[in-house]
Amino acid sequence: MECFARDHAAGGADGPAQAKYYRRLLPAAPPGPGQQYAFEVDLDQCSGCKACVTACHSLNGLDEDETWREVGLLHSDDWRAPFQATVTTACHHCVDPGCLSGCPVLAYDKDPVTGIVRHLDDQCIGCQYCVMKCPYEVPKYSARRGIVRKCDLCSNRLAQGEAPACVQACPSQAIRITVADQAILTAQFRATPAAAGNTFLPTAPRPALTVPTTRYRSARPLPAAVRAGDQRRVAPAHGHPPLVFMLVLSQLSVGALTVGLFLPPSPAQAGGGALLGIAALGLGSLHLGRPTQAWRAFLGWRTSWFSREVIAFGAFIPLAVGAAIAPAFPALAGLQPLLGVAAAVAGWLGVGCSAMLYADTHREFWNLPWTAGKFFGTAALLGLAFTLAVRPGVPHPGLLCALVFVTLGKLALEQRIFRWQVDRETPAPTALNRTARLLTGELSVWQRWRIAAALLGGGLLPLLGLLLPAHLALIAGTALACLLVGEACERHLFFTAVAPDKMPGGFTT
Amino acid sequence: MKRNTLLRQWTGPLTADLTLHPGNFGLGKVPARFQPDATTTMVCGFCSTGCGLNIHLQDGRAVNLTPATDHPVNLGMACPKGWEALTPLAAADRATTPWLRSPGGELAPTDWDTAMQTFTLRFRAILDQHGPDSVAWIGTGQICTEELAFLGAFAKFGMGLRHGDGNTRQCMATSVAAYKESFGFDAPPFTYRDFEESDVIVLIGSNLCIAHPIMWQRVLRNRNRPEIIVVDPRKTETAMAATQHYAIRPKSDLTFLYGLAHLLIERGWIDRTFIEAHTAGFEEFRRHVAPFGITAVARACGLSPEELERCVETIHRGHRVSFWWTMGVNQSHEGTRTAQAVINLALMTGNIGRPGTGANSVTGQCNAMGSRLFSNTTNLLGGHDFRRADHRAKVAGILGLDPGRIPTENSWAYDQIMDAIDAGKIKGLWVIGTNPAHSWISQSAGRKILGKLDFLVVQDMYPTTETARMAHLILPAAAWGEKDGTFINSERRIGLIKKVSPAPGEALSDFNIFKLAAHYWGCGSLFQKWTSPEAVFGILQELSRGMPCDITGIAGYRMLDLEGGVQWPLPAGEKLEAGERRLFADGAFYHADGRARFVFDAPRATPEPADATHPFLLLTGRGTSAQWHTGTRTGKSAVLRRLHPAGLHAEINPEDADRLGIKSGQTITITSRRGELQARAFVTANVTPGQLFLPMHDEATNRLTFPAFDPQSRQPAYKACAVSVRPGK
Repeated sequence: MECFARDHAAGGADGPAQAKYYRRLLPAAPPGPGQQYAFEVDLDQCSGCKACVTACHSLNGLDEDETWREVGLLHSDDWRAPFQATVTTACHHCVDPGCLSGCPVLAYDKDPVTGIVRHLDDQCIGCQYCVMKCPYEVPKYSARRGIVRKCDLCSNRLAQGEAPACVQACPSQAIRITVADQAILTAQFRATPAAAGNTFLPTAPRPALTVPTTRYRSARPLPAAVRAGDQRRVAPAHGHPPLVFMLVLSQLSVGALTVGLFLPPSPAQAGGGALLGIAALGLGSLHLGRPTQAWRAFLGWRTSWFSREVIAFGAFIPLAVGAAIAPAFPALAGLQPLLGVAAAVAGWLGVGCSAMLYADTHREFWNLPWTAGKFFGTAALLGLAFTLAVRPGVPHPGLLCALVFVTLGKLALEQRIFRWQVDRETPAPTALNRTARLLTGELSVWQRWRIAAALLGGGLLPLLGLLLPAHLALIAGTALACLLVGEACERHLFFTAVAPDKMPGGFTT
Repeated sequence: MKRNTLLRQWTGPLTADLTLHPGNFGLGKVPARFQPDATTTMVCGFCSTGCGLNIHLQDGRAVNLTPATDHPVNLGMACPKGWEALTPLAAADRATTPWLRSPGGELAPTDWDTAMQTFTLRFRAILDQHGPDSVAWIGTGQICTEELAFLGAFAKFGMGLRHGDGNTRQCMATSVAAYKESFGFDAPPFTYRDFEESDVIVLIGSNLCIAHPIMWQRVLRNRNRPEIIVVDPRKTETAMAATQHYAIRPKSDLTFLYGLAHLLIERGWIDRTFIEAHTAGFEEFRRHVAPFGITAVARACGLSPEELERCVETIHRGHRVSFWWTMGVNQSHEGTRTAQAVINLALMTGNIGRPGTGANSVTGQCNAMGSRLFSNTTNLLGGHDFRRADHRAKVAGILGLDPGRIPTENSWAYDQIMDAIDAGKIKGLWVIGTNPAHSWISQSAGRKILGKLDFLVVQDMYPTTETARMAHLILPAAAWGEKDGTFINSERRIGLIKKVSPAPGEALSDFNIFKLAAHYWGCGSLFQKWTSPEAVFGILQELSRGMPCDITGIAGYRMLDLEGGVQWPLPAGEKLEAGERRLFADGAFYHADGRARFVFDAPRATPEPADATHPFLLLTGRGTSAQWHTGTRTGKSAVLRRLHPAGLHAEINPEDADRLGIKSGQTITITSRRGELQARAFVTANVTPGQLFLPMHDEATNRLTFPAFDPQSRQPAYKACAVSVRPGK
């Protein structure tokens, strides 16, 4: 067949032959001030063939199992009005992109002219915070590369007048590129009350969060009872073990240091606390795809709670180490109390930033009161338990009582999610409904361990400590171990039970 | 591009991974690492649409592909399978050597010499002991026409077998039988441009959007704002996109179509001139449909009389009405008569032979149409008849063969071959490019039957298919893209496929396997002229001379390549004037009198209706456009796997689900009289109460299906059987 191949080679034209089909699917003029490029999807025209996904994959040279476009299904539960529509979705190149504002290293850039939200692959440290910040699950993490990648609206193609891969490849010409007015979209999504319904796309996340620019068109009204193909699907999310340990240990460290401030100085407490803080950050860095680039993580401080957390803990660790070693150096010994207070302030700011980091993803289970309550609660709980374990000599009854009190308070806070418990009959489970269902269903083992460990370490054992002060060292050590297990379980559930709203998916995909 | 700074890396090696470069050769930008140094166009190897794919080559090897922009079939588009067509070639589980089952029962790699000696020895022994009926083959619609001809010729004229059939029996045998009887030859009359030129498009039992997305693309190119009528029990993607959807009761299609015919006649909305000039049997047909009154038909089909009237009025108002059918009609216990009822509608309204009209069967596999003409199973090579001495003499003459070597009777059909294995009459079977252990109707019985064979040879790309795992001998076959040859698509277009990638290990093209088999069988001299696929194409052209499918005017593979395929017929001396051609413009059909026949029969009840113990009717069909048949190829692509549900799901209506306490996503058990399976319930209003839908791609689905067969075409009726449902396992 080589002779035929050469024939084709000889006759090859210069411009893209395919342009004759897609020319009318591109805007006549580039965006003006206050405007940007955007996808427009005609739901009526889409036949559900999904060629867009494969074309994007092939024409952008993605990894074997990597896709930047996804397809989902909207359908009707009402048998008198059968309905289905395929929803193709890629990056929405939001007016106010969550990925960009969350990125600690400024690895996102929203082009001032085109509005395209581009990911800078070589700047990325693989922290995956953008994956949590994007309501549409757009950035895709590649463990092999240690970074996320995403759709850039084929900016290199558009710049040369070529259509993005998906636009080129849609047999139904259901995807086109338009110019969107950013102010109009912002007003549409942020000024209209949420009760007016989702004017972006039914079942999709609230568009007020990031102001997505993709426009889904349909000439026929979508049925009121429209459902996402995966609406009833509840599956545990990623557990992020390094983050579990980073959060629990950093909070333990901050708590230990803080409790120590109220007691006579103790090298074991100060030193142990500081070491645990270092361990926390060390374990946390295992979460990163490219930890060697992580020194840039302060860059996003203007908008990113991730950067702010890094800065706060970045201050906390040297201060805590300083406070721990100061007594050993006569010249520094006088600074010890000041260093201790400064470390505690930085530490509590760090824990606060940790809470804000998750609250800022707008996932309902990670709302600020609950998250802050859990994180500060862990700091208090483990700080107390740590103190009791490493300093058997301290006046313990008050600390033991405080421990029981904090444990019960924290458990009470954690139980609030079960108010959202609904049975399987519920036609349209909310994000919190799905979380509650996960905690009582697939994740119930973890939940039981969590409660048992807390009640033992923060209830029974402290009470036993009150009764048997002679064995306090053993009891307090065991209690700390139980509470560490309990808090790690709680934090595992924090990650795995979150069930954010998302773009409609396919059935069981 | 901004410059890198200490704090911000705008470029670097990770960014470079996604660099795009101009592709040249009329391509737009392509990934830099796949920048081609040449391109070549070939036909896709999945469905019968026959899309042109532009293969991007580096040093003569395929590295990527894009749909061919100017191909007359697909106009620059492809479905996900086409885009991913190269991926299955690189699968880790390709067969790279022959595999032979040891006396201990284990399959182990072996060499070609041992494999072919075993092949010859074992089949010979069976034939010697049990006679020519005792070995048969099951072929495919997914290898090249030249290979199908080689297989059929070698098996019948070389090995002396009598019985061979193909998986095409499972997909379009009904259309073959219907066309033959109605038109006098198996001749789908249309060209895809008819989709664009109709003002009424009637789709019967066809989910075109999903099963043939690129044909649907042609529908969307229609500028006449056509009425699109979909007749399907389910609210499919196509039904959603249609302007009218008639969700008739499953298997009431024949009654429905006779009802339409009766209404058209009653209202005088028929083309008397055309009927009188070009057809036979109309009067009998008119009398036959007279009892199909609107009230009774509406009741039988679960429609209102007004709906029937609206449908008939739409057909009447159309100036260019095209009728299309696919597996919903073909895979039925009375499929041939149903297909003919569609043909009758086209004939009586004069909607045939003109642009935008026709009674058009959309076929399934990439080369089902090649198999129809040249597989030497149901027809003698080239659309000839085994039972006609003149045909046998002609074929023998062209092939340089003793006419006595040509069987004088037709082969047994697939189900008859299976029955004969069951009865111990067939003891050796050669399966080429198909997966009966998955796809055969009433699978458990089918597997038991295949297990009775003394010698089962499976020729496939993968030693891992359900059927290959049962084989005594596996012959490793090269894939589409690893060999040369031609396919014939749904609109009779003969297109080229090319070797753009080397076959892995010792895998050989099916063509070379047949050549090798002929050599070991000792009949290599019969095939002296069958040196290359293109040489065989020349022989096939000669065989077609004087037949309706005459292709003697095609100037070799080069012409096929330049023209983007050529539709049959193109007799010698005729100039190819249009890239898209349809049949019967002159109203001359292939029966001796030139007239098309009205063929009809009384509708028969579904062989296994729903009843008290099995109250649901199970429908099966295409799941998504990312899946193909038994998934041996599409399952190898990670991207395609993302485009369909991970496990088996069953669509069930909300009303039924509520009644049975079934929730979406829940595991349910579906039981028929032949087996049971577990699936996840997908509660959706797209299926009507009392019906369930299962995609056919999952290995479990055919455990349930009922082995009923259309009497004319012997095609299995996959689309209706009685089942019961319960929540849980």
